[in-house]
Amino acid sequence: MSDTVLLPKRLRAPEVVALLDGICRSAEAGPLTLDFRDVEEFDSSTLALLNYVRGRLANVVTVNIGGALARAEESFVRRPPTEETKGPPSGSLPSRVLTAIADRFIFQAKSLGRFLAMLGDEVYHVGVYLKERKGVYPGETWNQMFFMGYRSFPIVCLLIFLVGVTISITSAEQLRHFGADIYLADLVGLAMLKELVPLMTGVILAGKVGAAITAELASMTVLEEVDALRTMGVVPEKFLMVPRLLAITLVVPLLVAMADVVGIFGGIVVARVTFGTPPAAFIREMMTSVKWTDFGWGLLKAVVFGWAVVVGSGFKGLTVGRSAEEVGRATTESVVLSITLIILIDCIFAFLLY
Amino acid sequence: MDIIRARDLTVGYGRTEVLRDLAFTVPEGRITVVLGVSGSGKSTLLKTLAGLLPPLGGEYDFAGSRVDYRSEASLRFLYGKIGVLYQGGALLNGLSLFENVALPIRMQHPKMPEDMVRDMVYASLAQVELAGSAEKYPAELSGGMTKRGGLARALVLDPDVVFCDEPSSGLDPITSALLDDLLLRLKETFKMTLVVVTHELRSIERVADSVLVVNDGGLRFSGDYADLAAADDKFIRTFFLRKDSHDNA
Ligand SMILES: Nc1ncnc2c1ncn2[C@@H]1O[C@H](COP(=O)(O)OP(=O)(O)O)[C@@H](O)[C@H]1O
Ligand SMILES: [Mg+2]
Repeated sequence: MSDTVLLPKRLRAPEVVALLDGICRSAEAGPLTLDFRDVEEFDSSTLALLNYVRGRLANVVTVNIGGALARAEESFVRRPPTEETKGPPSGSLPSRVLTAIADRFIFQAKSLGRFLAMLGDEVYHVGVYLKERKGVYPGETWNQMFFMGYRSFPIVCLLIFLVGVTISITSAEQLRHFGADIYLADLVGLAMLKELVPLMTGVILAGKVGAAITAELASMTVLEEVDALRTMGVVPEKFLMVPRLLAITLVVPLLVAMADVVGIFGGIVVARVTFGTPPAAFIREMMTSVKWTDFGWGLLKAVVFGWAVVVGSGFKGLTVGRSAEEVGRATTESVVLSITLIILIDCIFAFLLY
Repeated sequence: MDIIRARDLTVGYGRTEVLRDLAFTVPEGRITVVLGVSGSGKSTLLKTLAGLLPPLGGEYDFAGSRVDYRSEASLRFLYGKIGVLYQGGALLNGLSLFENVALPIRMQHPKMPEDMVRDMVYASLAQVELAGSAEKYPAELSGGMTKRGGLARALVLDPDVVFCDEPSSGLDPITSALLDDLLLRLKETFKMTLVVVTHELRSIERVADSVLVVNDGGLRFSGDYADLAAADDKFIRTFFLRKDSHDNA
């Protein structure tokens, strides 16, 4: 003989909460019948209660139900998903880990292949464009130059000046020990022209210009604008990338020339303040060791960095997935990719030059 | 004549097959409606037919020649004959509506005099009743205007086939009727072939000459609209059931 609990006419969330404890306790004591037939006012918590007693307490609780509540239960109670849920992937843990690593490696290798293919394509597109002047929106290169210059000039100048000041102060301390004050000029000049200006310019371009390119191209991809270009007979890799590549090629030399001047100016300021070296003497000393080829290599390096940033961020933008949130992820990844490329290329240059 | 022929066409992304082994034709100069629940692969199919997404298997002939997704020449031939209206309009954000519609002309015929470009753009914009908004930017257009702008851009170079992905979804009944009229006009006046994805029962009734029904990873029906009612398929029956209750309401 089981106990019977007659549930009240009104059984909404407050009543359900109040009754639940009692029901559970009686169910522990022995078989129990819950009579829902009087229930007229109910809500989703009532249905949840039904679901709960039918599932968790099925072997001790019998449910009597009728009327509107029965119909509601039929149509609203969540049934277990019918489609078979995927079980855990087969195979032992080590083999799964190996498969995962292999998959990842293959994916990375494929991405690298696609990136290199895109790099080759871009060189080709720029060449063809310079010859035929077709397939790119008229005036777009100038627009891009303006945007890139506008975005990066002030910050490049400020940061390079600060870097110039910083390395001058750090080196000045050491040079003073040897009484080699004047060599600060050679040190700062070489470090700036050959290494720091190209590197810093590249990194700033990665953050300012590269991120903007990825964000723009990725959102165009997600919004099907890139597809639209393609079916218009336009090649997006050309239409979108060539103006940016030409623009960066033209903007970077200006940026580098400016940054070289500003960075060395930072050194001059520090030399003047700490050692009292007159600016003219600083420049004369610098000229004895710094050659035009140093300036040239620095410039070349920066242009290559600029290309790496534009191609890398363009690649990230055009290969984005299809949801809006991936635009943000692609942008972050693009900055990391650009900086990685810059440092790799810098390393290669170092081997070539010394 | 059938302008599009698909044999054993399987479409999807990478390893995911979305629709398998499709065999159908699209008659020239008529309106073919693609029907299917959301997520069934209508856009995927359209992307493949528009040359954007290589099929995972099978063959696709357009205007009598096999489409080879790896050959630039083959794709250029295809792109030169089609116009596509994308689900969201896909106007370029940095360009005004006028420049958006002018873009295909400028890219395909760089030497065309500016006066002619203007005439063509305004003719196309007038068809979708947007001539007054030519100087607006996409951000200043409503959803319906963006779609109509996308259609104007798809039409500006007089394509043989126009693919439209849900042209009237999210539009008010008046604008959507205007689009239906336009589709019919394009068919009758310019003998264009149209492939239209739509859910709007009213517009299916008005414009459909033939129908492709996709569901559950495959093609459930392909043929004349008139024969659709007789088709013995659960999805199609449900569809007509909904239509009946619609009519009674
Ligand atoms: N770029 C993509 N990559 C992978 N899967 C996709 C992609 N786009 C769509 N899908 C999947 O393909 C299926 C069909 O999508 P879609 O063709 O957009 O459907 P419909 O247009 O009929 O609503 C969906 O399951 C969707 O999740
Ligand atoms: Mg779709």
